[in-house]
Amino acid sequence: MKKLEDKVAVITGGSSGIGLATAKRFVEEGAHVVITGRREKELEAAATFIGGNITAVVGDVSRLEDLDRLYATVQEKYGHIDILFANAGAGTIAPLAAATEAHFDQTFDVNVKGLFFTVQKALPLFKDGGSIVLNSSVSNVLGLPGFSAYAASKAAVRNFARAWTLELKDRGIRVNAMSPGPIETPALETTTGLTPEQAEQAAAQFASQIPMGRRGKPEEIAAAVTFLASDESSYVTGVDLAVDGGMAQV
Amino acid sequence: MTRLNGKTAVITGGATGIGLAAAKRFIEEGAFVFIFGRRQDALDAALAELGLNARAVKGSVSDEADLDRLYAAVKAERGSLDIIFANAGGGSQLKLGEITAAHIDETFNINVKGTIFTVQKALPLMGEGGSIVLTGSSAGTTGAPGFSAYSASKAAVRNLARTWAEELKGTGIRVNVLSPGPTATELATAALGEEGQKAYGSMTALQRMGDPAEIGAAAAFLASSDSSFMTASELAVDGGLAQL
Repeated sequence: MKKLEDKVAVITGGSSGIGLATAKRFVEEGAHVVITGRREKELEAAATFIGGNITAVVGDVSRLEDLDRLYATVQEKYGHIDILFANAGAGTIAPLAAATEAHFDQTFDVNVKGLFFTVQKALPLFKDGGSIVLNSSVSNVLGLPGFSAYAASKAAVRNFARAWTLELKDRGIRVNAMSPGPIETPALETTTGLTPEQAEQAAAQFASQIPMGRRGKPEEIAAAVTFLASDESSYVTGVDLAVDGGMAQV
Repeated sequence: MTRLNGKTAVITGGATGIGLAAAKRFIEEGAFVFIFGRRQDALDAALAELGLNARAVKGSVSDEADLDRLYAAVKAERGSLDIIFANAGGGSQLKLGEITAAHIDETFNINVKGTIFTVQKALPLMGEGGSIVLTGSSAGTTGAPGFSAYSASKAAVRNLARTWAEELKGTGIRVNVLSPGPTATELATAALGEEGQKAYGSMTALQRMGDPAEIGAAAAFLASSDSSFMTASELAVDGGLAQL
């Protein structure tokens, strides 16, 4: 039995890593998926890789007009949304003493403001009884030297799930946060500003801090998101589901 | 759905309520399930529902000899064990000022000591890919007037998973806590009555009590490889009760 038969799902940050793996899993579970991302070439490649039941809309979650275009496409094509995985996010390294205003704004624009409006603008299309999953991070409860803006932005995301659970309860829409630990995605090497050596060191250090002794795979996060997106989690709302190999749990 | 094809599972407190719902679900997903409980009539009724891929062993988790018999039965028929759902638990109401030593002992013997030996005695049968699920409670993170012993015992259960995740490092065995909130088990619905169920359910964001099958679905997620990067975690299945 497929868990998301004929559901309409939107995934932001769908070009690579966790977003791509989740889009693939959702389609395997029977969903129609709309992915969005900033990089056209990568986004198109992702859609091609997944094959069927996938629509790609290029856009940046920190630009409200891009979100409007995304949801206009969803409305035109499907008329409603059942599932939203607000996954787009990023963080670059900047120690407190050296961080610039641009660094702070960029982090919060994508991770907090972008996610806020990703959800707000989806609401008119949302079917009652749907499921919203917010991608937070284990750093929402951990200190992460050099990434304080990122970690704080992810704590904000976790807390959105609390208020929105209450605001949307009368519509039967569940809202949960999901907090991955270190995952084997391209992001660590390509978007954080770390050198390849630093990225490799960070990966090894992460593995040593994780009770499971390794980083997670995007597919493992996708499986957990599928649980939260589906009726399998029908009595789960307002939680922060840690999928972190135990990193922030012990 | 056959996520648990060929797996062998033990479910304590498996004759009724959440344990029975999980047993049904595990079997639907392809598992062979041993249920363990104290009452023979309840075990017999459960077996009649569960069918050919279930076995029942009568006993109490607070009795080590009973647990030894349980795992001897598992070993004899299946040779090894993939999943433990350490779900047996209980609690009665006594306010601070009325608490007796017997009340504390009874609560902690089942919920804490019982959970510890349920898992410890299972380990020799478990290996790579194994999953241990402990039943916590939303009471483990909230105050619950009259239930101080129960709440404290469930906080202890949540914390056992932390230490065990570290101790099981390298074995490929994961351990997580499933914390139900108000759940409409036979026991709870009988005790609460209709009004009580409504009142209890309305404390949650979802405005209702959970169905045992909803807890069973979450248990199946934690038991299966869909949660393969989760250990030491707590999954609250509580309608939002303790999350906001």
